[in-house]
Amino acid sequence: MMKVLSSVRDTAQQKDIVALGMVKDVEVGDQRVTFTLQLQNPHNPANGQIVRSAREAVAALGVADVQVRIAPAQAPARGPNSNLIPNVKSTVAVGSGKGGVGKSTVAANLAIALHLQGAKVGLMDTDVYGPSVPTLMGAHQEPVVVDGKIAPPVEYGIKLISMGYFLPKDDAVIWRGPMLHKTIQQFLGDVRWGELDYLIIDMPPGTGDIQLSLCQTIPLTGAVIVSTPQDLALHVASKAITMFQKLNVPVLGIVENMSYFICPHCGQREDIFGHGGARAAAQKLGFSFLGEIPLETAIRVKSDSGKPVALDAATPQGKAFGEVAAAVAVQVKNARAKAEEEIMIE
Amino acid sequence: MAFIPRKIKLDAGNDTLRIEWSDGHSSLYHYQDLRDKCPCATCTDSHPATKRTAAGGLALFTKALRPDRAELVGRYALQIFWNDGHSTGIYAFSYLRDLCPCEECEAARIGE
Repeated sequence: MMKVLSSVRDTAQQKDIVALGMVKDVEVGDQRVTFTLQLQNPHNPANGQIVRSAREAVAALGVADVQVRIAPAQAPARGPNSNLIPNVKSTVAVGSGKGGVGKSTVAANLAIALHLQGAKVGLMDTDVYGPSVPTLMGAHQEPVVVDGKIAPPVEYGIKLISMGYFLPKDDAVIWRGPMLHKTIQQFLGDVRWGELDYLIIDMPPGTGDIQLSLCQTIPLTGAVIVSTPQDLALHVASKAITMFQKLNVPVLGIVENMSYFICPHCGQREDIFGHGGARAAAQKLGFSFLGEIPLETAIRVKSDSGKPVALDAATPQGKAFGEVAAAVAVQVKNARAKAEEEIMIE
Repeated sequence: MAFIPRKIKLDAGNDTLRIEWSDGHSSLYHYQDLRDKCPCATCTDSHPATKRTAAGGLALFTKALRPDRAELVGRYALQIFWNDGHSTGIYAFSYLRDLCPCEECEAARIGE
């Protein structure tokens, strides 16, 4: 039956209707054949022709009673596999309330650690005011436009995009909301991300235009909150958490950065910003605690020189980021399982 | 966020849109009600440069109001493209749930 029906072509798309997935629910009885035709485009002038040809093709087999049910075409809803980035499995935003807690450092090292654990990863820097990904990852290449789309530079196996690539050094972005919104859409839709397991999104601090645009443009898989251990930072981080909850973005957990300091001279540990605040906050709010990253000169030096510490998984810092990445991967899996129940629009 | 729609049905009959929620509740909204409660800046007088224009016109000459289509906004809202050309309203799920006109929800609102 499918073979007969595959002789019918949608002249608008130059493909047969079986290959297009238009034929459904085929029932073959004694003298009767019933099937459903799922139309794909309500404005396709060939729709009438398709239905007639399909009916005739089956009737030509000598079937007396051919019943064709027609399922009208529907405008596609924007699902999690948003049209903008159809081949990206999970999108993870890395945010904070306060600036200066090390979001970008965590985002870059998280991307690398996930990549070292075998995933295909992209890193999108949405902090258009203070882009730091090119510095962190070592901007050796520049984005090039191929066939009208941006081919992202690849460093250490990670596909990257950042406003930093499009600005002369020391130039500043002084924009209002609508321009930011457009940039976010371009970073998603006009960049050739290809197939990715994770797109890690480094966010600017706060709860403003960029965060809102991002949460409106794609259904994020989840958000990772970065905070330093002191109350001041945690207090502001809770505002970011509230924003994600209002926008129905699952909070995957909290990472404590600058968690403790081990003196390189005497080896004594000093909890400069206190310690364990983020773990306590995560517990109180019912989120996972994703790990703690120590305050270390090596992280700063490597970040400034464009060689993130996570590249060497054997070092204590590399190991710490590896543990965070593993915890994030588990939380992403859980969030995706929950998101399976999609919202249907009819 | 507490309430998420599972199914949103445009054209649920008699100029209504129906939402079936994750908790099993079902809400039926009349198009005109939803249009009147559009949360966008222009319709709520939040936009300084515009004033809300009264929905006017003689019924005879006005097309029946209906949504051309609706799209999800991220994971938290519905954007409705009305056939009168208006589409800037982003109806957050929590807002829609608050608007549910069923007797039970109505009673709960009065009780508050």
